[in-house]
Amino acid sequence: MKGDTLIKELDCEILYRRKEGGTKDLRSFIASDLMSDVLLVDNEIDILITSLSTAQAIRTADIVSAIGVVIVNGKPVSADMKAAAKEFDITLLRTKLSTFQTCGIIHRLKEHAA
Amino acid sequence: MIDKNIPIKAEDSASLILDLIYQLKIKDVMSRDLVVACAQDTLHHIKTLMKQRNVTGIPIVKKDRLLGILSIDDIFKALDNGYMDELAEKYMSKKLVILEEDMPLAFAISYFDKFKYGRFPVVDKDNLLVGMITSRDINVGLLMAINKEVSRMEEMLAQNAPVDAKNFRKVFRIRKYDFEHAGIASNRIKKLLTERKHDPRDIRRVAVAMYEMEINITVHSEGGTLTVAIDQDRAEIVAKDAAPGIENPELALQEGYSTANEWIKSLGFGAGMGLANIRRVSDEFEFQSSLGKGTTVRAVIYFKNKKGEEHDH
Repeated sequence: MKGDTLIKELDCEILYRRKEGGTKDLRSFIASDLMSDVLLVDNEIDILITSLSTAQAIRTADIVSAIGVVIVNGKPVSADMKAAAKEFDITLLRTKLSTFQTCGIIHRLKEHAA
Repeated sequence: MIDKNIPIKAEDSASLILDLIYQLKIKDVMSRDLVVACAQDTLHHIKTLMKQRNVTGIPIVKKDRLLGILSIDDIFKALDNGYMDELAEKYMSKKLVILEEDMPLAFAISYFDKFKYGRFPVVDKDNLLVGMITSRDINVGLLMAINKEVSRMEEMLAQNAPVDAKNFRKVFRIRKYDFEHAGIASNRIKKLLTERKHDPRDIRRVAVAMYEMEINITVHSEGGTLTVAIDQDRAEIVAKDAAPGIENPELALQEGYSTANEWIKSLGFGAGMGLANIRRVSDEFEFQSSLGKGTTVRAVIYFKNKKGEEHDH
């Protein structure tokens, strides 16, 4: 699925969009609030879904070469986090949906695409 | 970025000073040689004490418990109004701004800016008076710490081999609880490896190992260093901290074992996966720790995949 589909379906607010935003086909997602769990995953990660709204989530996303972070539960995002998103050129989105709802929608979209 | 309450500009101050004001605790710089008086002493007696000991403020105590402070301004008022024979307890300030000895020095600096007092009493965990801190104590303490740091950095510089195009070596200093910067060193190394067109799988392994080490130093130690050495065949990362060390190293290696507090967990860390994760991605892994002596973790990752090689994920 493309980034625009994700943004539309999750009703996301775009806090930062990476320079090549919207081009990549998004295939792999991970949802976790524990950054160590994110680092534990071996395969490619496109999007990190988390309620951790600090610069640390962006830095973790950079380590695993994710291209986007979705903040759930409409949590407030610090200026630091936005600055980090810009620095590492990682798309930063925010949805009012919960992790559960977000994952449910993404799962449905993936099923649909397949 | 630095706390906006501290009157030091992060952008034009040496990062060493910024490091130090967070590393040093108030107890490291405060004066312990206290001049104190009792609530039943007369203002006259306190004036004499101030003159003899050359201080401008005296804590009034009862068995190490702080009751108030009498400043030279209180003495001036008493002289003007002629009540020098009265007791300290009547005129001392009881609305006290107090610092705790375990707070970082940055805290004291922000207090001097915020409250405009010349000195602050310092208490210990049991709320007993253990020292006084003035801006002079801070200056002296910082200068001494800078001296020490500079000699240490010179030593470190000597250890750093010259960098050529193929070999890279760098020492990163990591501060305790500095979540603002935790991870940045790893992001930089990842960028470097990406620029050198290493295989993404190898980059990922190096970045994950280093990131976990960086977070570990930030969360669990009193601060330390990360030494990264990269040549054509491999990356070696050594994390070293001086304290406090790990009581049970065997246990620490187990997945899920964590000593992190709730506050650290709320920041997304402390799931007990750090060391296990480092070991998982590394080709060589060494871990040494003993209580009071600090911890050293060494990880080596071989670049197994050819640079810039196309591959499936």
